Amino acid sequence: MNYHLLPFTFTRISNHEVLVNELGDMIISPFGTVYKLVNREPVDEELFKSLAANFFVSDTAIPVLSDIYALRLREKKRFLDQFTALHIFVLTLRCNQNCVYCQASSCNEDCTSVTMTMHTMKKAVELMFKSPSPYLTMEFQGGEPSLEPKLLRYGIELAEEINKAEQKNINYVLCTNCVDLTDEVMDICKQYKVMISSSLDGPAYLHNTNRGKKDSYEKVVAGFERARSILGHDQVSALMTTSELALDYPIEIVDEYRRLGFRSIFLRALNPYGLATTNPDWTDYTDRFIEFYKTALNYIIDLNIQGTFFIEEYAAIILKKMITPYTTGFVDLQSPAGIINSVLVYNYDGYVYASDESRMLAEFNDYTFRLGHVDEPYENIVYGKAAKNAAKYWSNEALAGCTDCGVRTYCGADPVRNHSTQNDLYGYRPASLLCRKNKAIIEYIISLIIERYDEVMPIFKSWLL
Amino acid sequence: MTIQIDRNIFDDAAISKTIYWLSGDFSFQRRLEGEIESITITPKPGSEMSDLDIELAFLDKLNDNKLRGIIANETKDIRTILYAKAFADDDYLSEEDLNE
Ligand code: SF4
Repeated sequence: MNYHLLPFTFTRISNHEVLVNELGDMIISPFGTVYKLVNREPVDEELFKSLAANFFVSDTAIPVLSDIYALRLREKKRFLDQFTALHIFVLTLRCNQNCVYCQASSCNEDCTSVTMTMHTMKKAVELMFKSPSPYLTMEFQGGEPSLEPKLLRYGIELAEEINKAEQKNINYVLCTNCVDLTDEVMDICKQYKVMISSSLDGPAYLHNTNRGKKDSYEKVVAGFERARSILGHDQVSALMTTSELALDYPIEIVDEYRRLGFRSIFLRALNPYGLATTNPDWTDYTDRFIEFYKTALNYIIDLNIQGTFFIEEYAAIILKKMITPYTTGFVDLQSPAGIINSVLVYNYDGYVYASDESRMLAEFNDYTFRLGHVDEPYENIVYGKAAKNAAKYWSNEALAGCTDCGVRTYCGADPVRNHSTQNDLYGYRPASLLCRKNKAIIEYIISLIIERYDEVMPIFKSWLL
Repeated sequence: MTIQIDRNIFDDAAISKTIYWLSGDFSFQRRLEGEIESITITPKPGSEMSDLDIELAFLDKLNDNKLRGIIANETKDIRTILYAKAFADDDYLSEEDLNE
């Protein structure tokens, strides 16, 4: 047979060869297909038509539809055109909870000198508007940012003022534990349509144990109710973090989210920052998390089969990359990486970091991803030495291990995680627990598509509407 | 255990990539004599794989990496062209560049 191959790689899942091209198109084929293609041996006619239609093979050296290919490739990297959309403002490290596994290196509510000044806020907001992105998300984090209502209001009002001329589309998000949402904070949220993003780890015993508190769960749930009643049901979302204890309760956690009226959950692993580094055995944790994830995902799929619409957000992000022509705004699964390209962090002390994780490293005196200071010009920050250094390692298209990986287009690059866990921005994939987790989850989702296509595909598609 | 690989069949890139992915669990020593490469594989502490399993895992990966290498080689020019078409400023690209 006479045809040309187009770029693709492959992997083996559920007794099939899974071929994935640069556009993220996936072809599931019998064992031996790649060998036949490489050696130009005949393959099944329908399969060949599918390979040709999806840019795996071409009759001509340059495909007739190369313009379409280029457009689709560009669309997959659309986030690069717009540059940084997510701007995280760490208002303070003060916190009224100080949970056991805290990933944000918070300190006591009475701490001084750990809160952003008005000057830093002004400079940070001005820097945010230097981003060419027409969409901006201004996310307030801590510590507990609701402890600083005046700073919160000042930041938002300044952004609103500047935006009269800039005319960008701005979203505001307050990441709060919801424990003490005062009238003052609620007024700001209502006035400026600030979304509430909170944390809930699952049922009361789990949430309270994770946080080393007796009544955190009750306070958080009361906070949800209050925020929903003032701002509207959909203005409140919650994130869970899978502590070691949580690994034993996948079903209970999903049920708790449903019980509280959420229509989705993001099953999120602990990351090795902040106090969470004290976790003893990360390999064991990662393997257990993968099993936890599979159990919870299967349970969620069963719920959907029985008629309850409920989304697992991490799977939905991967599926969007897999079965639509579009990119996602999710910074952890991007190549080039989400750092700087999609997110910047303005820390309480005026320093600017490449990501949330980058600033957490700085709390442990590691300043590798400190890009500069809010008083510096924008260009010095986003095109400076630290940014350029990170850029050498941020494309998984060019990293050993990733280049040939069959699921590369659904995964991402993360030099910050490589650095923090392996002391090497480049990273060593065979020992990378992030790689292990991502690969296992992506391959599991593909295995579901292979083995239970008719059952799961309508559900997966419904999650992307 | 030692595996003998005919370098006429498998090139250095396919062998190196295979070793890369298995090097989390095993140590490797390579010796090239003429066209035959001898690869001695030593499990790192904690590995519970039998010699047969190790050999099968190695050969499976080796075959896949050979195929990936052929595809990557055969498609590297068209890949560059498609990426250039997608991302390069049109002013810098002529039809000849793309058809070269
Ligand atoms: S990190 Fe692992 S799963 Fe992700 S692209 Fe690289 S090799 Fe593949």
